[in-house]
Amino acid sequence: MDIVVFFLAAAAAIATAVAVVAQKNPFVSALALLGNLVSLAVLMLLLEAQFVAIAQIIVYAGAVMVMFLFVIAYVGPRGEVGPGDRKPWLVWLAILAGALIAIEVIVVTYGATFSDWAEIDGDYGSPAAIGKALVTDYLLAFEVVSVILFMGAVAGVIFGTGGRPRRLSTDEVLAKEAESAEQRRREASRAVLDATRESMGEGS
Amino acid sequence: MVDGVIATIIKAFLLINILMVFFAFMTWVERKLIGRFQARYGPNRVGPYGLMQPIADLGKMLQKENMIPEGARPKLYMFAPWIAMACALGAFGLMPFGNVATLPFTDYTFHLYIADTSVSLLVVAAIGSLGFYGLMIGGWASSSKYALLGGMRAIAQLVSYEVAFTLAVIGVIIQASSLSFVTISNAQDNLWYFIPQILGFLVFFVAAVAESNRPPFDLTEADGEVVAGYHTEYGGMRYAMFAAAEFVNAITLSALGAVLFFGGPSGPYLPGPLWMLIKIGAFLFVLIWIRATLPRVRFDQLMKLGWKVLLPVATLNLLLTAAVVAYR
Repeated sequence: MDIVVFFLAAAAAIATAVAVVAQKNPFVSALALLGNLVSLAVLMLLLEAQFVAIAQIIVYAGAVMVMFLFVIAYVGPRGEVGPGDRKPWLVWLAILAGALIAIEVIVVTYGATFSDWAEIDGDYGSPAAIGKALVTDYLLAFEVVSVILFMGAVAGVIFGTGGRPRRLSTDEVLAKEAESAEQRRREASRAVLDATRESMGEGS
Repeated sequence: MVDGVIATIIKAFLLINILMVFFAFMTWVERKLIGRFQARYGPNRVGPYGLMQPIADLGKMLQKENMIPEGARPKLYMFAPWIAMACALGAFGLMPFGNVATLPFTDYTFHLYIADTSVSLLVVAAIGSLGFYGLMIGGWASSSKYALLGGMRAIAQLVSYEVAFTLAVIGVIIQASSLSFVTISNAQDNLWYFIPQILGFLVFFVAAVAESNRPPFDLTEADGEVVAGYHTEYGGMRYAMFAAAEFVNAITLSALGAVLFFGGPSGPYLPGPLWMLIKIGAFLFVLIWIRATLPRVRFDQLMKLGWKVLLPVATLNLLLTAAVVAYR
């Protein structure tokens, strides 16, 4: 059972990873990345890392990728990427990076003995165990990460709002519109009044 | 998997079918109740009391032409309702309907839930947020500006309300010190959490109505503004799948509210599944009542409510709960 799930998820992970770079439309690429994140979460589940798997789906699939798709779908470039957009030095860089990863995989798999199973207890990978590890052994790293995230949030607010004229809220826009409508109404009635007065003046 | 693969598959099959029949029945209940709220009869032509109306609707939906709008992306367009549907049904699978039961006339015992993991609550949140991809892909792939705008509204609403929703639920998690639904509902044997967690419950309820895209927060399909929102270009069974996914989400959120704040399947005299049904039914009744009573909010009101009211209240509730639990 486990082995079937593993191969299904692994095949899905590879296929979606290829699709991320092979697809021409950025929206479809982002969807493929989403599929990749979900299949990686399945692989994590097989490694008894329940909390990490679900956190991966909530944080990356549920929040980060939503933002990616949002940006691509609504403010991103239209259309598809053609072959002319490819820079030749990027190809060489990609081949180099791929070769390095291939060498790393070969070295690691030749050096490792797969008969040594990791010993884990029943609590391993549960939210309680991870929470305990985060606030005891890795407290400093945890706090530093939270400070970095906070800086990111503040920077986002500053970049998002700074330097631009203040936007009117809907209430203010409505109030302004009501004011100008009132003014138009007054002008119109004054014009009618003037016209009437004029015609009456002609009549007498 | 607590009961072995075969039993789990049988339970999942039963759950999906019961859930879909319940959904069909609830559409009748909703139309009937809305009719009564508006001083009219509601459906009463097909079958006794109009009870066969959902089946007639289904027959109509099945006969519709299967068409794809020009300029749409056919595969994604056809795939989107399946995502919405699968996520809506999947999230319900973790709801507990009791602890252990014995099959009648045999000695075979089984659990009244499909799975109970140490991260159940997070799984429901994760599957629920994946369901929104159905709306977004549907809105994007149908190549219509109204669908696109509806999908955008859906995502903006999800992002704003998920934060408050999660923070409100964390209060319960801290108090029960568990993420498993079975543990959380068993921990409420003496006192339902909606009393100590009243702030959290209020935030949870408003955010849940917003997350299920039901009125007064149904801006994703506000017919006066974006026609029918993300499913403008969908017809026939694909539209029905979106509608079903939306209602099943409402049922799931009702079940979640029942488990987190009203003791789930626990209650006197009656068996667990029945209590669970009563509590889900009560939640759904209030949802329908609200739909018949309140006007739709404006988009800026929606954002203001989410970020400036619900989020601070949920944070306050979280801090209070944490302080009380730590002091104890």
